[in-house]
Amino acid sequence: MEIPYTVTARKDTGLFNSKVGIWLFLASEVMLFGGLFSGYIFLRIYADYPWPERTLPVLPGLINTFVLIGSSVTVVFAWAALKMRQWRRFQVFMGITIACAAIFMVLKGIEYTAKWGHQAVRMDDYAIVEGHTHKAELDDHGHFHVIHGKKYPDHAFPANRIVFETNEIQIDLTRFYAPYMKELIEQAEERGSKILLADTIAGKRNPKADEKTVAMAGEELAVGFLKDARELFLDARAHNAGVRTDELRRLWRVAKKNNPGEPAYLLASSVQVDDAALAPRLVPATGTVKFNVQPPMPFVFKRSWIRESEESARLKDDTILRGKLQECPLVMGVDAIDFRYMAQKAEAAGKEPMSVIANSWLLQKPEYKELWKQHLESVEKLEQKLIDSHGWKDEARGIANRVPTDTERYRIGWKDLVEYKTGERPSMVQGFAGPSHKKEEFAKAFPELEIPNEKISLQSKFTPKWNTYYAIYFTLTGLHGLHVIGGAIVLAYYLFFSKGLYLRNPEWLANRVEVGGLFWHFVDLVWIFLFPILYLM
Amino acid sequence: MSAEATAAHDEHHDDHHHDLPFYRKYIWSTDHKVIGIQYGITALLFLAFGFYLMMVMRWSIAYPHEPLPGWMSWIFTEEWKARWLQDGKVTGDTYNMFGAMHGTIMVFLGIVPLGFAAFGNYVVPLQIGTVDMAFPRLNMVSYWLYVIGGGIMCASFFMESGAAKSGWTNYSPLAGFADSQIVNQWLAGQTQWLLGMVFLISSSLLGAVNFLTTIINLRAKGMTWMRLPFFVWGMLVTGFLLLLAFPPLEVAAIMQLMDRVADSSFFMPSGLVSKTAGVLEVSGSGSPLLYQHLFWFLGHPEVYVLLLPAICCVAEIIPVNTRKPLWGYKSMVYAVLVLGFLSFIVWAHHMYLTGMGPVVSTFFQTTTVLISVPSVILLTSMIISLWGGSIRFTVPMLWAAAFLPMFGIGGLTGLPLAFNLVDLHLHDTYYVIGHFHYVVAPGVLFGLFAGVYHWYPKITGRFMDTFLGHLHFWPSLVFMNVLFFPMLTQGMAGFHRRWYNGGDAYLVEEGSGNIFGNTVLDWVAWNSVMSWGAWLLALAQIPFVINFFGSIRFGKKIKSDNPWDATTLEWATPTPPPHGNFTFDVAAYRGPYEYSRSDHEGDFYPQWEEPPREKAAPSKTTTTKESAKES
Repeated sequence: MEIPYTVTARKDTGLFNSKVGIWLFLASEVMLFGGLFSGYIFLRIYADYPWPERTLPVLPGLINTFVLIGSSVTVVFAWAALKMRQWRRFQVFMGITIACAAIFMVLKGIEYTAKWGHQAVRMDDYAIVEGHTHKAELDDHGHFHVIHGKKYPDHAFPANRIVFETNEIQIDLTRFYAPYMKELIEQAEERGSKILLADTIAGKRNPKADEKTVAMAGEELAVGFLKDARELFLDARAHNAGVRTDELRRLWRVAKKNNPGEPAYLLASSVQVDDAALAPRLVPATGTVKFNVQPPMPFVFKRSWIRESEESARLKDDTILRGKLQECPLVMGVDAIDFRYMAQKAEAAGKEPMSVIANSWLLQKPEYKELWKQHLESVEKLEQKLIDSHGWKDEARGIANRVPTDTERYRIGWKDLVEYKTGERPSMVQGFAGPSHKKEEFAKAFPELEIPNEKISLQSKFTPKWNTYYAIYFTLTGLHGLHVIGGAIVLAYYLFFSKGLYLRNPEWLANRVEVGGLFWHFVDLVWIFLFPILYLM
Repeated sequence: MSAEATAAHDEHHDDHHHDLPFYRKYIWSTDHKVIGIQYGITALLFLAFGFYLMMVMRWSIAYPHEPLPGWMSWIFTEEWKARWLQDGKVTGDTYNMFGAMHGTIMVFLGIVPLGFAAFGNYVVPLQIGTVDMAFPRLNMVSYWLYVIGGGIMCASFFMESGAAKSGWTNYSPLAGFADSQIVNQWLAGQTQWLLGMVFLISSSLLGAVNFLTTIINLRAKGMTWMRLPFFVWGMLVTGFLLLLAFPPLEVAAIMQLMDRVADSSFFMPSGLVSKTAGVLEVSGSGSPLLYQHLFWFLGHPEVYVLLLPAICCVAEIIPVNTRKPLWGYKSMVYAVLVLGFLSFIVWAHHMYLTGMGPVVSTFFQTTTVLISVPSVILLTSMIISLWGGSIRFTVPMLWAAAFLPMFGIGGLTGLPLAFNLVDLHLHDTYYVIGHFHYVVAPGVLFGLFAGVYHWYPKITGRFMDTFLGHLHFWPSLVFMNVLFFPMLTQGMAGFHRRWYNGGDAYLVEEGSGNIFGNTVLDWVAWNSVMSWGAWLLALAQIPFVINFFGSIRFGKKIKSDNPWDATTLEWATPTPPPHGNFTFDVAAYRGPYEYSRSDHEGDFYPQWEEPPREKAAPSKTTTTKESAKES
């Protein structure tokens, strides 16, 4: 059996099968990316905070654009070479195409890494700062210290963690998450504390079974016995549920017999399981176990793991810690200050943005006050420059043809900071993938900041969590990147594993390369849309 | 093209004789017929599972205070029951979980695979006269992606979080942070739903590409567009709907997945507070409305993806059993094309209550009313096809005949919902449930059952038993209506579709002044009637199961390869069709429904029968030149 039209085109449609297939597939791909682009427009138009504009470094994106366009050309050359039956030539051009894909992904990787290392904080007054988190350590008394200097000790942690002095831990048996438990155990070991079971865990699966002891009071926390305890609890709970269900069934049989024809909803309130009467048939089942931390010690957690209050903290798996929240500010080197959100909120509330900003928590610090003053001066200069070059619209009322944008007015970017400090603005190449805190000449322009816990309303790296712009950026470029990788794998297959097919049926291979090339062009086309909307607009 | 296949190519000559090992033949098969059967059986199993979930829900609605009876709860472990039932009673959470999964399983794992993938796979290549699908290996991949997707969905029942609980529509922000208490989000039911969906969508997309390519490029000689059986036309349109409507849902799934695992806020508005987690730590500013747009952009075409395969089956069965051409074949073809197009611009009629604004609502109200025109053309043509026919009431014909009024009720009850103003009252009531279940249960499923009984002889070489067929059909017809009709009235009285206890919470003492409470009191008794309809409907499927498996061995053997005296190409193959399908160089010489032609002996004139010589017809020995001219 042979499928017709795999190599030659069908006369009436003029197409071979896989060409029909790829065009249909591309139609669905258009709908896929069309959906995402529509989503982008929708989300950007209705965003209720200032949309980050032109925040990405343009250079890597620009290079990537040319790399992809170039590869689209070479893939056509590769196909043409096959049509001319020049295998060597095909190999060269296909090789270049795949190399371009690799360059594209490497640049993408550099960009992504820069994002993942970049801290951002939205404060409770809507001021936003961006930068790099420092590292910190706890001293012997459990106090929080920021480490300055190049070398970090092993126990250092990023200075955006929650530190919670704990003396008691309560664990939910059905929900505990083993990696959390291991983290608790490790931290306790490191600081020489012990997490000890408060009461013996023992019980029966059902009234007839033997009493089973899972762990004695004073035993150290271990995932193994927690699992045993969970098993015992689940068995006991299942037994109890069975007993109660049987009882409720019996009660309903009796109730229906005694009240024939009466609708169930009228009987419902009187048909209830009586716990006291059932007690002898039930077994005790407790779903939580308590541990004491001896001696009490501070635990360090990622912010996303924990919801903390002054006296208790809850991990995501319902593990409850009791004790005291420690002083643990977020400490960072700031490379951008953004008051646009604050200005928007102020305007919405009918207040003067500039005075709200001047009164913000951040600008109470002298260093930042000075920076802001410098910034206002430079905005003024810009204003004058715009008037000089574009003139007045209505000079009497002070309306200029061009005024600084909100971004220029309310945001101090990292290049601004460097300029205010050194008087020289970094070039496009110097900031290839964003601000570098490793370069001495830049780092000294980035001021330090300690943000106390209660001031933080949202903190994140530059990841989808930070705002919808980064979310759509990662979704779109990630999905596009997967297409690049997928396409490159297929093209590489043609390059490295298709010599046999070339010798047997070169036309078939040419068809395959044509179809692969069509897909490659589509991937390129998507990028040509992505680049302006994510990097330039 | 079989000429090509059987001619010179030496390296392929032994394909027919080469025995593939069992696993290649029946498990990792690339034969469209085996894949069709795989799809069919898997989908029937999922349908049964979805039906079971519904029975548990119906119990909760009718008897909210009573423990689930043993005959329903035996499949759960004691541990599972302790977790999800309260003293044996169905809880709101459990009801929501079963409701969400009932909808998902029925739509995405049951009916679409059964209608489009199973029937389409088996019948389409046969009807257009080709050897297989255009991309056989892709076809296999589609099936296995479907199995993986279904497996992921069902596995989530046994997770700590349970399966998804936010309705089959999975609306954000509810679905966005449901199960957010689970630390590893990849192991939360709500996330698993999205993952499963990504697999199912990929499966459907690959399937659609395959079907469309096959229909466009692999038609036999002489199989011109207007000689295509209506079945193939329907599948073509269905394929396009899947191809173009599913990607936006994939977008929605990917974005919601990002919301769940990467903490983005695509569908999370600012200032969200949840009861369990307090103020959510998200950046906010997302749009739940965007989710609904993306979802329903698929959701509405999906309705026609469910429906068209059933109409396709019925449109094949009616001409065979009335011995008449399908009335208005061409109008039906154009109607189905228009229907396909319009189905892309009606989606927001599911969203009248979201506050899109009157202008948008009016637009979608207009298109929605418009789409009833092609639907009515299809239905009317099939009804007129019955007129003056000498109808053979075979079992498939019974189902097909019942499909017409049942789908009619489903369609007509939809009209009031199309109107913005009426929908304000009926939205999210049992009226809506009644409406779409009339479309998909007695409508679509009856059409698909008709298809099963109709093509069974071709697949197995034996008829399904007629008596068991009647025993399946009549009770099903009665109990379907017992189950669904009261929903329409209850819905108009205001019963909300998401009451897990069937309105129990709104009951009042008799004689109370609470008007709504009194209405609920008037209609609440119907809950148990409908539930009994559901139990009995389940019983009525037992004859089908016996018949389906029993007839493979004990059914009456067919006497010819064309037991129903039909005209379309699938009946020209040996029974069951071998790998590669046709044993001769097949070609289509005429339209698909040439029954009772006065100029031809016998009451049917098959598409593949060569006309007598003097009519200067294409001969068997010609090459592909002919097909080029024809098409």
